[in-house]
Amino acid sequence: MNLKRQLLRLLVFTLAIALVGIPGSAQGQQPIKNPDTLIIQIFGDWDSLDPAWQYDTSSAEVVNWHLYESLIFFRGGRTDLYDPMLATEVPSIANGGISKDGRTYTFKIRQGVKFHDGSVMTPEDVKYSLMRFALMDRDGGPSWILLAPILGFEIQTTRDDKGNFIPSTWDRLNQQIQVKGNTVSVTLKRPYGPFLNIMAQWSMVVSKKFVVQNGGWNGAKATAAKYNNPETNEKTELFTKGGGTGPFRLESWDRANRIVTLVRNDNYWRAPAKLKRVVLQSVDEFGPRRLALQNGDADEIEIGGRVNQPAVTGIPGVRIVDDLAQLLNSPALFMNFNINPEGNPDIGSGRLDGNGIPPNFFSDIHVRRAMAYLFDRDRFIQEAFRGKGRLANGPIPYGMLGYNPKGKWYEVSRDKAIAEFREAFGGQVWERGFKFTVLFNTGNLNRQTGSQMLKEAVESLNPKFKVDTRGVTWSSYLGQLTANKLSMFFIGWSADYADPDNFTIPFMHSTGTFSSHQGYKNPEVDKLIEQAAQETDNAKRQAMYFRLQEIAYTDIPTIYIVYPVSLTVMRTWVKGWYNNPIYPSVHGYFYVMYKG
Amino acid sequence: MTAYVARRVLLLPLVAFGVTLLIFALLQFLSPAERAALFVTDPRQLQHIDAIIRKYGLDQPIYVQYWTWVKQLARGDLGWSQVARMRTTQAIGSFFPATLELTIYMIVPIILIGLWLGTTAAVNKDRFVDHFSRFFAISLRGLPSFVWGLIILMIFYGRLNWFPPGRLSLEANLFVHSGEFKVYTHLMTVDALLNGQFWIFLDALRHMAGPILTLVLVEMALLVRITRSSMLEVLRQDYVRTARAKGLDEPVVIGKHARRNALIPVITLSSLLFVGLLGGVVLAETIFNFPGIGKWGATAAVQLDIPGVAGFGMFVAFLTVLGNLAADILYAAVDPRIRLQ
Repeated sequence: MNLKRQLLRLLVFTLAIALVGIPGSAQGQQPIKNPDTLIIQIFGDWDSLDPAWQYDTSSAEVVNWHLYESLIFFRGGRTDLYDPMLATEVPSIANGGISKDGRTYTFKIRQGVKFHDGSVMTPEDVKYSLMRFALMDRDGGPSWILLAPILGFEIQTTRDDKGNFIPSTWDRLNQQIQVKGNTVSVTLKRPYGPFLNIMAQWSMVVSKKFVVQNGGWNGAKATAAKYNNPETNEKTELFTKGGGTGPFRLESWDRANRIVTLVRNDNYWRAPAKLKRVVLQSVDEFGPRRLALQNGDADEIEIGGRVNQPAVTGIPGVRIVDDLAQLLNSPALFMNFNINPEGNPDIGSGRLDGNGIPPNFFSDIHVRRAMAYLFDRDRFIQEAFRGKGRLANGPIPYGMLGYNPKGKWYEVSRDKAIAEFREAFGGQVWERGFKFTVLFNTGNLNRQTGSQMLKEAVESLNPKFKVDTRGVTWSSYLGQLTANKLSMFFIGWSADYADPDNFTIPFMHSTGTFSSHQGYKNPEVDKLIEQAAQETDNAKRQAMYFRLQEIAYTDIPTIYIVYPVSLTVMRTWVKGWYNNPIYPSVHGYFYVMYKG
Repeated sequence: MTAYVARRVLLLPLVAFGVTLLIFALLQFLSPAERAALFVTDPRQLQHIDAIIRKYGLDQPIYVQYWTWVKQLARGDLGWSQVARMRTTQAIGSFFPATLELTIYMIVPIILIGLWLGTTAAVNKDRFVDHFSRFFAISLRGLPSFVWGLIILMIFYGRLNWFPPGRLSLEANLFVHSGEFKVYTHLMTVDALLNGQFWIFLDALRHMAGPILTLVLVEMALLVRITRSSMLEVLRQDYVRTARAKGLDEPVVIGKHARRNALIPVITLSSLLFVGLLGGVVLAETIFNFPGIGKWGATAAVQLDIPGVAGFGMFVAFLTVLGNLAADILYAAVDPRIRLQ
């Protein structure tokens, strides 16, 4: 949807509100609707409820800690402290749970926990769940998160180059994940500091019996290949079923009406939840979501961008909780060192002749610095995020280990930008001028705003400078990005787990998701990232990440813009809500929530 | 007549073949990475894009992909629609009845009111009723349907809380999924009555009221205009003058002589309207969060869900052929001069 249409919708919606008026305060004291059911309206959709398949926030919101549970859990709103969950204690070197060499983690498994199908959870189930998660390994799925630390970061898949399953993966996992008595131990290839953080989120325990009963993998090596990389989400047994231990069971997933209904698990291993039901409804349009909130038909809604914030402000009986921290670095502005010129109209003539840019345009540090001096990040935050967000200075989000609050960044300076451009390509850039196009995916208003701001800033410097902007579909954007055809591009990253390693790799490592598509490679950076990942001493790790931030500043392959903060909107009768930035959504942990 | 119908029905596979071939041919213009976008929705999945392309054979020549799809089709399998998170056949089976139900409830008032208002306007040309109907038609069609949708939603849900969005309320939905409710036709109002659950019938009707009202307001206008101009033309014909000269009552002249002849373009429009509503309901379905086939088809197209789009395309082609066939049969019924060979 383009900006005009979005704005037109907003205008109509605002006018309509003005016409009919927001109901008076009498409705603010309306009695609690559906007092034992929490209703959340979102705009996404669920990909799969199988913990080994799902890798999207909507599915994770249902799966994580509601249907299924992990061995350990995050303490309150902290992402670096843990409480036991399906394990009875959090492993540490002190309690012997982590071996002295930092490679083996031993979890004591809680006894007497029942799955939703009534069977009792055993350490075997835990081992099976970890192996199933790692071995399902669908393309584009989350399995690498366990495979990499256990088998080594050079191994991110269970298949060879031809896409065939490597059977010895099963042997290695079977060897490195061991059941002894009432414990399960996991031995990593090398020490990896973030492993506990991974286990707090990616160790969802499923019932082996339930999976097998539904035609799933029986845990044997011989059948592992058959269940590896399933073709579609429906080919997995837990796609629409729940076989976990969580405080809620899956009552139904109505895919036609896009409603997921969870019902309280009365045989839960702790006291049962206060809520009887949690209903998640997918509603594409903001209008009906907002009205449902106003009418009390929804308790929490996703507003889908701060542009809609005014429309939910001031509704009686509704509160907005703002400034919620996020483990997110988005959007950042990347510069491509080696643009693919093949059939690429977006770099014009492909030469520095005033009608295009050469493919290596951004390999000149002066061009990159000039762009960094030009892009007004404060204004961007003001316009795209209504002023909410913290200026970024590197790949690691604010508040995370390795974030340097004193890290330097470029101030906005027209003069300095001009000076840099005058030096670029031996002065030819300033003399001849250039022309290129910045793409954004339509519907992403932040990226559109950013592209427009960049265009205005660059073109104001020199009449020979020309930047066009163009909206394309997500598929086009993706196609151009992976073909290395984008000159400058906006994109961002949200955490798989709360560790700087998960941010520094995609942003800065030469093999990283983004850096590989911008052709950025600095051997010192690669080495630092690899060393920091293995370092268990936090002070040493921090020093390495501080050094990475310095390089991010001096090399400036990417203009880091903002660590956005989120907000959530809910009825005031929703109680017990709290947020943890690692949660897939801002709707809270349903187990402790109620209405009152 | 039978031969004519048979020929038209036999044409169906050809039309379906053409539609799906066109859809696959259009894919040629996209790179494999673009076609993989359906499965890569998060930057975190970017690293796997080559594997995804290989897995789904997206880099294979288009005729190979088409052939694979046709072979699958021969087994009665339309493939997996990632957008619906269902098999394509299941998606059609689940979304079409919802839209059909909406369309039936919509088309009856559109045609009845449209014909009445159009005729009245033509008969009373340049009088108040005529001006009013024209003003009414222009102002209704002057705004896009999503604007009407939002206004209706604001008033009838936001203010009055009469017509909520969605297909059923929370309680009704729980009951429908409880196992006590038997599904016969997938048409919610019909199933509710067959189950003897009148409250579900009312609940379903309440949820359909918003989209129905929106589309009736917008789509009716066109029918009013067409009926009016068609009627005006017919009223100028000699046989109408003759009928009046014979001393026939005005209602007979209008109802029997004039309107029947004016119906031909109206029938064409109505049959197209029926099929067109499938597309036209997309916005209403989106605004009122009504799980219909139009919304699914549109989302599948935008997200390049090829099995979804191909299945949807085939289905709509099928409906269009049937709609035209129905129109042809109706022509013969209203106008004996039209002979079907």
